[in-house]
Amino acid sequence: MRVLLLLCCAVAFGQKLPLATIPPGKVMMVIQPHHDDHTTDYGMGGLIAKITDAGYESWFVRSSNDEKDGAHGYPHNDMYNLRESEAGTKILGMKGVYSLNWRNDYMDAIPLQELRAQIILLIRKHKPDVVLGHDPWGHYDRNPDHRKVARALAEAVWMAGLANVHPEHLELGFEPHRVPHLFLKARVDYGRGHEANVAVELNESQVRRKEKAYVAHRNVYASPGMARSVKAQLQAEGLTVPEFAGKTDEEAAVMIEEWYMDWISRKRGAENGVKYAEVYWYRGEFDHLPGLTDYLKANVVTR
Amino acid sequence: MKVLILLLCAVLAQAKTVLVVTADAPDFVLAAGGTIASMAASGDRVVLVRVTNDDKDSWNLSAEETASRVKEEVERAAKVLGIAQVHSLGYRAGELGGVSPTEIRDRLLFYVRLVKPDVMLIPNPYAEYVEVLDRHYTGMAAEEARRIAALENHQPPFAQAGLATHVVKELYYYAQPFDPRRREAESTATFAPQPKVVDIASSLEKKLRASQALTTVNYSMAMRIRKRLDESGRRLPLLDVVNEESVRKLVEINVRKLAEIAAKDSGYKLAEEFLYAGPDYQVPAKLR
Repeated sequence: MRVLLLLCCAVAFGQKLPLATIPPGKVMMVIQPHHDDHTTDYGMGGLIAKITDAGYESWFVRSSNDEKDGAHGYPHNDMYNLRESEAGTKILGMKGVYSLNWRNDYMDAIPLQELRAQIILLIRKHKPDVVLGHDPWGHYDRNPDHRKVARALAEAVWMAGLANVHPEHLELGFEPHRVPHLFLKARVDYGRGHEANVAVELNESQVRRKEKAYVAHRNVYASPGMARSVKAQLQAEGLTVPEFAGKTDEEAAVMIEEWYMDWISRKRGAENGVKYAEVYWYRGEFDHLPGLTDYLKANVVTR
Repeated sequence: MKVLILLLCAVLAQAKTVLVVTADAPDFVLAAGGTIASMAASGDRVVLVRVTNDDKDSWNLSAEETASRVKEEVERAAKVLGIAQVHSLGYRAGELGGVSPTEIRDRLLFYVRLVKPDVMLIPNPYAEYVEVLDRHYTGMAAEEARRIAALENHQPPFAQAGLATHVVKELYYYAQPFDPRRREAESTATFAPQPKVVDIASSLEKKLRASQALTTVNYSMAMRIRKRLDESGRRLPLLDVVNEESVRKLVEINVRKLAEIAAKDSGYKLAEEFLYAGPDYQVPAKLR
């Protein structure tokens, strides 16, 4: 009984993460492989909304051309997905989308340093205080684009701060810029590797915008076929969902996707003692100097 | 006199050859410098292979000037730690992701067969959240080089040039403390390296002096901290004036704190932490 109680306590209290605060700053960049990675089931639409609510100017970088994602053939998928990415990011309050257009799901073969150079250039142009991206350390990620972009990003955020890295950029008037705050994301249910170390509390409005941004990707989410399939499965079990009454399959699909976003936000919230949350691995401005972080916290003063 | 000679012979008989592989100048000093100094002080012969040329990290210096200065500084740091030889492979810093892993591996393989170490210290390629990915690529290549050094079908021309196969008995994986799960063994000693904490109280001063010898990267670190604080309306009194004295102090704080972090819950006051693949690795005691 005592062991059971201890286990319950560990589950109830042991897993809670500290709540992150939004770092002071003006510019955020979200640098991801795909059109929808800013707002997927495990991602980051809530945090993006929260940071734009705090007054940040925000930019989204789509690294691939997303030609494989959707049922309309390569060129059409590329165009649909880019437009929907623009729509989704607009809902979240972001200012614009850069598309690097590398070939979707073929990024394993591209030169890492070329991709990294593109990201470094954009970092030096916008000087982001906060960058959000995919965690390169997450295990069991089946997607080659995730791995490549994550690795390029992981180096770009600090190498952009060194003048001897792509000194040609400085000819444009750009300056070296190390990104001080980094939030990385990966599936927390994929095993080891990605170690979330903070939870970000979301409010009702941020979760609703996250839902809307997610279903803006209509080329890949909220398909009427998915709703028909769900309804058929329920019917086979003698079940119905009252909310579906009078709704088209497309409207039902949108509701299902929005519930999904609501559910995952509530789940992460419940795990961390708040109503809604997302979880991330966060690296602060001096966390890359583990021997100095405590000293700097204790001794840095305001001018 | 006879006793002294006998004692000396006994020490020499136990002395090992140690090969340290590092991606860059500061990493081997900050993560393993105390242990290396202790090994050298106990009579071990230590050789360092440095994979990149460290040409990127400096303040207001060209890449060429940076590389040239850091090479001298690494050699100075190595001397402080008691390292007998330094070999620099000269790959450009931050660019190992674009180099063939097999090429790096086989260059390291050459040194494994040349130096014939009993012990290797390599960057842990599995340590998570290490932002300098050159350390990951170097660690992967070094781990492979250690394994294939014993296999005659790898690089037969090396054998023809007099470099025989060689078995490295002990392997230390080092990393600065970024990985939150770095103290968890991933499996038993037969299948995975085990956490090992090494007391460095007696060698900390050497580690500190070696770290302070890396003046180019240290000055760069201090200036970048100051730049970040300036940009955000803050200051660190220690860095109001960035000079030799203030940078040396900053390095001392860093080195001492790293040693305290590694020593946590170990019973030591100052330490370094590793994952260690010793004699039990891959061949359990009962089968040896």
